[in-house]
This record gives sequence, C-alpha cells and structure tokens, in this order.
Amino acid sequence: MNQTLLIAFPKGRLGDELVPLLAGTPLALDAAALKSRVLRIPTATPGVAALLLKGADLPRYVAAGVASLGIVGSDTLDEMDMDLLELADLGFGACRLSLCAKAGVSLEDLRAKPHLRLATKFPKATEAWLAREDLTAELVPLSSSAELAPLLGLADAIVDLVQTGGTLKAHGLVETAILGRSSARLVAARGAYLSEPGRIRPLAETLLGALKAKA
Amino acid sequence: MAVRTPHFPDLLFNSAARLRRWEGALMGLLADHGYRELHPSLVLREPPPEGALRFFDGDELVALRWDFTVALAGLLTRTFPAPPDRVAYAGAVFRRPVQPWEAVERFEVGCERIQPEGEPAAEADVELARLLMAVPGLLGLKSAILHLGNAALVRRPLEAEGLFGELADAVVAALSRRAPHRVREALDGHPSAARLTTHAEALLSEFDGPGTLGALAASPYAALLEEERSHMDRALQALLPILPPNLELRVDLADVAGLGFYTGPTLRLWAPGAQQELAAGGRYDRLFPGLGRPWQAAGFCVRLSRLLDLAATRPDLFEEPR
Repeated sequence: MNQTLLIAFPKGRLGDELVPLLAGTPLALDAAALKSRVLRIPTATPGVAALLLKGADLPRYVAAGVASLGIVGSDTLDEMDMDLLELADLGFGACRLSLCAKAGVSLEDLRAKPHLRLATKFPKATEAWLAREDLTAELVPLSSSAELAPLLGLADAIVDLVQTGGTLKAHGLVETAILGRSSARLVAARGAYLSEPGRIRPLAETLLGALKAKA
Repeated sequence: MAVRTPHFPDLLFNSAARLRRWEGALMGLLADHGYRELHPSLVLREPPPEGALRFFDGDELVALRWDFTVALAGLLTRTFPAPPDRVAYAGAVFRRPVQPWEAVERFEVGCERIQPEGEPAAEADVELARLLMAVPGLLGLKSAILHLGNAALVRRPLEAEGLFGELADAVVAALSRRAPHRVREALDGHPSAARLTTHAEALLSEFDGPGTLGALAASPYAALLEEERSHMDRALQALLPILPPNLELRVDLADVAGLGFYTGPTLRLWAPGAQQELAAGGRYDRLFPGLGRPWQAAGFCVRLSRLLDLAATRPDLFEEPR
C-alpha cells in the first residue's frame, strides 16, 4: 500500500510563521489550495500533503498515525501529554508561558490572596507551577481571550503565552512570573516512525532541511 | 490515568477463528522448542494492583489476571524450588486501558526462559530472538521488523551518574519521545547534563541495521557500555545469517519502553504501517530476586489483540489464509 504521506501543520500563530518558511522548499504548500477553504493541501513533493489543523487537535492526528509528522508548540504537547515522538526543537514560534496580572499587581500581591483565581488555557502547566511554588488557586478554564479575565473580574491573573507582549500591553497587563518557554517542535507518530523509518525519516529530514535553509 | 470509556470488543467469526488458529500455531512453535505451558489462575491471589480490573466478590475485593509475567512469577515462586527452564502461556489479561484504543481484555501468547542466577544468559537471549523471528511467518505477516535494543544502555549511565527518581524519569521520558533537546531541558543545571545529552544524541543518531552499534562510540559512556555493545554485536552475528525473508533487523539503541522492568536486551516486533508493536520482550533479571528467588529470566509476549486489530484494518499486510 503506497499511501500519501500526511504532515500536520498548525493553523494560527505558528502556521503564520511556518508557511513563509516553507515557500520555495520541497514542502512548499500549494498557493491556490492555501487560498481556498480546503484543509488538505498538496505540497511541492508528490505523494506528500499537508493537513491544516488547530494546535489542540493536531497531536491527536499524529498520535493516531493519520498524519506521520506534525509541527506543534511545545506548550500544547506539554498540556496534552500524548504518546508522540518529538524529533526536534525547530526554534521558531518562541514564546514564554507567563503569569500576567493588571499593571501594579505584583507576584507577592497574588501570593497573599487567600483565594487566588487564575484563568488559563494551560491548566496542567499552571498546576505544576502552583505545586512548585507551594500555592493553591482556583483555576478558571478558558479557551481564548484570556486577557479579558482580569479586566472583567473573572480572575485575579492569567497564565498565557506571551510572544512580544503587545496584546498584554494593549489590555493593561504585565508579566509577573515566567512559568516556562515554548517553541515549535517536529513531532512524529510513534508507530509510523518505528515501523516505517525508511519512509518517515527522509521526510523528517526534508522538513528539517527546508526549515534550516530558511533560518 | 485510565480512560473513562473503556471498550470491550467481542470477536466475531473470522476474528475468533483467527485467534484460535494463531494461538495454536504459536503454542505449537513454543512446544516444539521445549517450552511447557503454564496457566496461572484468571483470578489473582495477590492484593489487587493498580491498573488491574477489580471487582467485589461479596465483601472481598479481587482482581483479574492483568499481566502474564507477573502472574507466572507468583505461580513459579510458590510452586517450584528450582526454576523450570522454559515456560509458555496463552490466554487473556484484563487491564484498565491507558490509551483510548486499548481494549480491556487482551489476548496474548508468550514464553519465558528462566535460569539460576549467574548462568551465562547470552544463549538464552539469542534463543528467544530466534523464536520471535519465526512469529511473523507463522502469523502470515508479509513483512516485519525486529528491533533489538538493550535497557542497560540507558539504565547504567543513569545509575553511574547517581540519577534516580523524578529526574531519571524525565530523562527516560525524553528518550522515549526521542527528543535529546528534552534531555538537555530536564537536566538543566545538573552536573551530568552535558554527558547525558551527548549520550542521548548518540543513542538517537542512528536507527538502522548492525552498523548502528557504531554510534555508541560517540557516547561518553562508551567504555561503561562495552559489555552491552559486545553482547549486542554477538547477538547480531548469530541472528543475521538466519534472518527469514521479509524480516528486517534493526538496532534501536534508544528503546526505553519498560525501562523500570527490563535490565538487558530487548526485542520488539513491528509490521510496516502498524501503529503499535505486535510483540515485545527482553531480559528482566530483577523480577525473581525481588520475589526472593535467585533466578534470572527473559521472555517475550505476542500481543494477539493488536494483531487481530491489524488484520481487520490492514488485511493487505497479511498473506491470504490457506
């Protein structure tokens, strides 16, 4: 069976950085297909196609072996704890996972709160940080626009990704602690990589070569 | 953490017949090589372990057999003053699934080679590898890949660095992901960080045939691991000339699955395109001493439930049944 090899690429912030990096390489995405609404995009290499997926869904497609390779942020990987191989730190998409509060609110102010409420898309990383800091808090799970939570009283602070800090500044928020760092990672399906290394490793090397050439 | 919606697949006509046929063929192979069948009770005598399927029998909490190796170890240490040298088993184990695709009831066939502590083990390891090499042909797999690894390649450097507990677990998890950059992150600031990261890079640099062993030369622990390298080299020399057609042999230096259990050589069987390994085993010399018996052991288990799934979803990987 000679199936098309699928690579899962992220939509959104990481995808916006990735697509220009691939332009002119063997894994460049078909420009016409990119402009359409289709989510399966041919690449410049016959037999290799890209799936465009949301970050939170992407690891599932790779873990199940639907896509052989994928690119996803390490923050997402750490939250989901899927059984995936992580072949390389690609370096781009670097950002910080930070505790952010309204300007003028310090980490000590937050520590002193008897009932701290933290809004986040990253409960696992937040819980790990709270345990390290010997703190307890009520976690308010959110899936987007976390910056609004402290402004509207939903939470005292947020734990979110910060790249340039522009969004925080626009909402009058500041970083009060850095919990971790994230960057784009090349992931592979364990089964595909271990059972068909002759197909998957060259594709991974092509992808790494394409990104390295543009670095 | 166990999944919330475990599934209990039934086997319909073709799958049930295939299971019966495969069990018979594999147990026949093992019997031909002197492995005698033992059938540990389906209901465990020991206290119910975490992960086992547990239920109340009246007021008493009991568990179903969840792992043949562990159940056999209990049986063997209870029953035999000296170890039987070759045993085989077939049947189901019941486990709370960790991954959503895992069934609760899993059919397995396997074998164990048991010796008094201190006896040369190399021949037993090669014997098991030779048996596993015969399995794909018996099951009608068109092609397969046998991975040879060695748990000591990671275990011994960690022990030499005095790395145990959470930090060692983080290194093993990073290797399991084949992510040397995660090894560096996990050991940030630790005195062994540079050495273990270089070691991880060496283990992960090659994943191919016998030449892969050469990658160990780049490890800072090359001298420490010379005995393991030489053991793997001898095993390869014994196995390569008798490699059946359509079976590929690969050396996987970074195989860390089951590192808490395995102590030496490991074996894993894959089929091209399969998402999970179809058989696994290796040497686990600490099991019986932990139960008070000075015995060493190695074995493998063929995961028939995964093979049944594979036959249903990828029939193209199998020969037509005769």
